Amino acid sequence: MIEYKGVYKAFDEPVLSGVDLRVESGEMFALFGPSGTGKSVLLKTTLALIVPDRGDVCIDNQSVHFGGRGTLARIREKVGYVFQYAALFDSLNVFENIRMGLPEATLKRMTEKEVAHKAWEALELVNLEPRMILSKLPAELSGGMKKRVGIARAIVGRPEILLWDEPTTGLDPVNTAAVERLITQLSEELQVTSLLVTHDVEGGLEMCDRVAMLEGGRLRFCGTPEEFKNSDDPVVQAFENRAAAYAAIDVLDVR
Amino acid sequence: MNGNNPSANTAMPVPLQAVLAPVGRVAHTVAVHAGEIAILLWKVGRAYTEFRVSVREIARQVYIIGVQSIPIVIVTAGLAGIVTSQQGGYQFTGSIPLYVMGSVVTQSIVLEMGPVLTAIVLVGRVGARITAELGTMKVSEQIDALYSVGRDPIEMLAAPRILAGIIALPLLVGIANLFGILAGMYTAELTMGLGQESFFYGARLFWHSWDLLYSLLKGVAFGFVIPTIAIHMGLRTGGGAAGVGLQTTQSVMFMTLTILIVDAMFPPLFL
Ligand SMILES: Nc1ncnc2c1ncn2[C@@H]1O[C@H](COP(=O)(O)OP(=O)(O)OP(=O)(O)O)[C@@H](O)[C@H]1O
Ligand SMILES: [Mg+2]
Repeated sequence: MIEYKGVYKAFDEPVLSGVDLRVESGEMFALFGPSGTGKSVLLKTTLALIVPDRGDVCIDNQSVHFGGRGTLARIREKVGYVFQYAALFDSLNVFENIRMGLPEATLKRMTEKEVAHKAWEALELVNLEPRMILSKLPAELSGGMKKRVGIARAIVGRPEILLWDEPTTGLDPVNTAAVERLITQLSEELQVTSLLVTHDVEGGLEMCDRVAMLEGGRLRFCGTPEEFKNSDDPVVQAFENRAAAYAAIDVLDVR
Repeated sequence: MNGNNPSANTAMPVPLQAVLAPVGRVAHTVAVHAGEIAILLWKVGRAYTEFRVSVREIARQVYIIGVQSIPIVIVTAGLAGIVTSQQGGYQFTGSIPLYVMGSVVTQSIVLEMGPVLTAIVLVGRVGARITAELGTMKVSEQIDALYSVGRDPIEMLAAPRILAGIIALPLLVGIANLFGILAGMYTAELTMGLGQESFFYGARLFWHSWDLLYSLLKGVAFGFVIPTIAIHMGLRTGGGAAGVGLQTTQSVMFMTLTILIVDAMFPPLFL
């Protein structure tokens, strides 16, 4: 379970002004929102990559920001994070990148062969050909390949919770489908809790149990996909259908 | 800023404000950096006391910072020795015995030029590189990614580089001293006909056993300063590729200035 409690964060101006949200265990949850509203910032507060000015985040009732170093280390071990721009370690090759996704303690217990097997498996899950790319450096990969290696790194340690920051943006339709299938599989077969930030509203509505819309620093909407589709909020409508989006360009203050 | 300004009754007179505002800004900046560096060092210290720093990574950094810098350090120190020797020779036209040159060259190299020039070279070769490397990792979210997979960049990146600097710099200073003195000696022989024995006679005449330790101690101090500032500046980088460039420039200035200040503090503290 992920619980955001009054998360407030300002850089030059407020980005998140009190976000309250609860994602239940095993749930698939999609977060939509205009570009630059702080979706990535919110995800980062979940692992204390960004520290909120006020408020807290709890993972399974353990405080991320006030729980101390040991708690945070345990939380980071059970949460996988897919970065928006992959954030691969550019001095390490693909195999070493994925290897980093395994906790140090786990690595000590495993043989190199087991690690290699896990990395291989993770790459196949994201529809990449392990033989071809295991020894490549991130600079030698395409954007979409980097993204999927980033996903492989996040899932290789079998996390209980996955935070996805736009995992399908910039992927071709086939790979988008592969990643979507992976997200669904993980949540259905392994009861992984997924919080998915995405601009692919259609996909998000189809896959997820609940969805929310972050806008102007707050949750503007939170509910089931059905409720989302039937909402009369113009911003929600603009995200839901193309015609409303065109109508909204000049009317709404969506940056 | 004039009398009609509604807030002017609370504002300070213009000249005083004009003087104090920049002073305050500088003080604020210094305090922020000092605080952040203190926290960084505290975390580095903690990483060491908890034995969480890889010895292999320390060795690798000693190789990069130390061994790979040897050629440029030798060239720099050699040139410094040649210049000191020639300049000394030019000034020694009076009745001062020529062998005093041995002391002039040795002392200026060991006490000042060896440590400081080595440090300045290392600012460019190592310090700038560390800032750019960590800065790039910061702006491309690799630092965040490290935290997210449960690794600590302070343990993995900062701690080994700082210890490696403390180990490597004194050794480099030793090498710089040796080659600086040798170059000075040969130059004195070539340009003034000062024999090697006379050179060493002069060098020994004013030599204190403390001098070499003083020189190496400077090396230790600079070896600590360079990676510490470089890492601190790297980790606070923001704003993409342009940010990395700007931050690296500022880091180089910060390191150079600190080295000169630390160097200026050495005589009153240790001589
Ligand atoms: N480290 C930072 N320093 C300063 N400002 C930041 C920082 N990170 C984010 N911001 C600001 O916070 C706001 C939200 O950024 P964020 O990356 O969370 O947007 P987003 O909702 O993920 O957008 P997108 O859909 O385009 O990824 C932006 O205005 C951005 O400028
Ligand atoms: Mg984002």
